[in-house]
Formats: sequence, C-alpha cells, structure tokens
Amino acid sequence: MSKELKNIGDEVMAKIREGQVKMKPKYYFIVGSVLSFVGLVSSLITSVFLIALTRFAFRSHGGIFAEYRFEQLVSNFPWWAPILAVVSLFIGIKLIRRYDFSYKKNFVYVVIWLVLAVFMAGLVFDMTGLNDIWLQHGPMKGIMRQYFDEGGVRSGLGQKHLQANISRGIKLPFLKD
Amino acid sequence: MQNDIEKLSDEAIVERVRKSDQEFYSVIMKRYQDRLMRYAGGLIKDKDKATDIVQSSFIKAFINLNGFDTNKKFSSWIYRIVHNETMNLIDKNQKEAVFPDGFDVESGEDIEKDFEKKEIKEKIEKCLADMPVLYSEPLSLYYLDEKSYEEISDILQIPMGTVATRISRAKLLMKKLCQKN
Repeated sequence: MSKELKNIGDEVMAKIREGQVKMKPKYYFIVGSVLSFVGLVSSLITSVFLIALTRFAFRSHGGIFAEYRFEQLVSNFPWWAPILAVVSLFIGIKLIRRYDFSYKKNFVYVVIWLVLAVFMAGLVFDMTGLNDIWLQHGPMKGIMRQYFDEGGVRSGLGQKHLQANISRGIKLPFLKD
Repeated sequence: MQNDIEKLSDEAIVERVRKSDQEFYSVIMKRYQDRLMRYAGGLIKDKDKATDIVQSSFIKAFINLNGFDTNKKFSSWIYRIVHNETMNLIDKNQKEAVFPDGFDVESGEDIEKDFEKKEIKEKIEKCLADMPVLYSEPLSLYYLDEKSYEEISDILQIPMGTVATRISRAKLLMKKLCQKN
C-alpha cells in the first residue's frame, strides 16, 4: 500500500478518534425524511386543491367576474399551507441532503413532472367530482366551506365578500363608479 | 479474527461501525481506498487532488453513515460520494475540458466481438486519459472497477440505457483513440 493511501486511512481514523469527525445521529435523518414527506404531501394537497378550485370558480363565473372570483380565491386561500409545504421541504431536504441515491437528482425534471402531475390531478379531481367528497370529508373541508359560504355559490355574486371589498376601497373591474 | 472480518460484507461492517465499534471503519477504508484512488484519479487526472477527494469522501461517508440504507450496496454509495466530490471540484476549478458541442459517435453497433474484456481493460488504462469524462467514467467503472450497469446507473444517476449507450460509444471512441496512439 502506498504512503498516501496509508495516510488517508490513518488521518481519517485519527480525526474520528479525536472526535473531530462525528456521525450525524439517526434522528437527524428521520426528521429530515419526515419533514420532506410532510412538505411534499401538503404541497400536493394544496396545489391540487387550488387548481380544482380555480377551475371550478372560473367555470362557474366566467367573463368579467372571473377576475373578482380569482381575487376572492386568493383572499380565502390558506396561505399557511403552501408556506408550510415550502418550509418543510426546504428544511427536510437540507437535513437529508446526504450522499444517498437521491442526491443530485435532476431537480428540473422532478419539478416539471410534479407540476404536470399536480395539474392533471387537479383536472381529474374536478372532473370526477372528488371536490365534493373533499368538501364533506376531506382535508380541505373547512376551506371549501368558507369558500362556498363567502364566495356566494349559494348567494349568487358573493354579496358579503363584495360589500366587504367595496367598503375596504378595493376597486372591482366590473363595477361602475 | 482477521479472516472473520474479511468475510463480513461491507454493509455488515457499516452496521458494526454504527452500533458498536468505530474502529471498523478502517476496514472499509482499506477495502476501497485503492479502487477509489484509481477512480478519482481517472476523473481528475491529478494524484494529489485525487488523494484529497478520497479522504474527504471517507470523512463525508462517515459523517452520514447513519443515513446509509444497509439494504443498498455500500459500494455504489461510496462511489457516488467520490463521483460527487470529484465533479464538485471539477466544476470549481473548471479545468476539465467540456465535451465538444455536436460531438457524436455512431451507436448501435455491437463491437463486443471486436474487443475481449481483458484486452479492453488493458487498452482502457492507456487511452482513458485522452477521453472526455462523460465516456471515460462509465467505461472505467465497467471494466476497471467491474461494476454492473445497474451499479453504474446508481453511481452516476443516469438510466441503464444511457449507461449502455455511453459505454458503447466509449468503446468506439477508445478504438479510435487507441489506434491513433
């Protein structure tokens, strides 16, 4: 064995013995994996729901109302959910960014496939009526209920929300001065 | 005792290092350092840098040892770490020649008959230095480190079909380079 090679082993072992190099504990990787999983799942749920809801809203109230409807969606949407998703994913990936087989995957392709998958899933949810199931039993029950109550599917134009926006001075494109 | 240790699989040794005795890590290093030095040296073409790469790879592997899944092959994992370390250094230094645009070699031709594995192994060592990393790396892993297509696919994070294509093209390229030399 050459001198350099012997030195590599000796130097690494010396650092280990002296405590300069320490193994990361197992829980570090578990926390990272759990956070990544939570982030991924919550981002998927949020995105699918957003797409399905947006499509539903535009279909129900097209034309000049679409913009207002979108604004209403934005104001009703639980922004904590995507923020949680991003934060969990960020911390999770950072924690588990170890040298395993998932390291250095081509994340551009991963993101493209994820966006396409979410978009397709959103359309499928909308077309198959899974929205209704979510409305009654799913994870977005509260948000959907709020959307329907405030958004005015039952009350036509969403008078309550409309009035609130007008009183706050928000200019709506379809209303004459 | 020594024989018993030698019989242990890499994954079993990793398990021991993690659970009871960190000294066993030297066994792992002993098993891999020659091969990894040759692998890193072939990529970076600088002995001192290859030594640094192998050393830092062993350190990173030790730090992240609890993240290694013992159901997978340790060999692929450690090669992957060395690959990443080398590529990071190459990116940093930007010394390695980029593969020329538009370069392509006709593929699909089965030249396995022309080259026996042993003969190729000897020629590879001579011609590898003149080859772009894109092709020299899978070729070196296949013939010199005797990795399977699946292992190379894990190490380089490319599909097995791409591994096969690159090796096939590398052989054609090598034929040209070796004949020229």
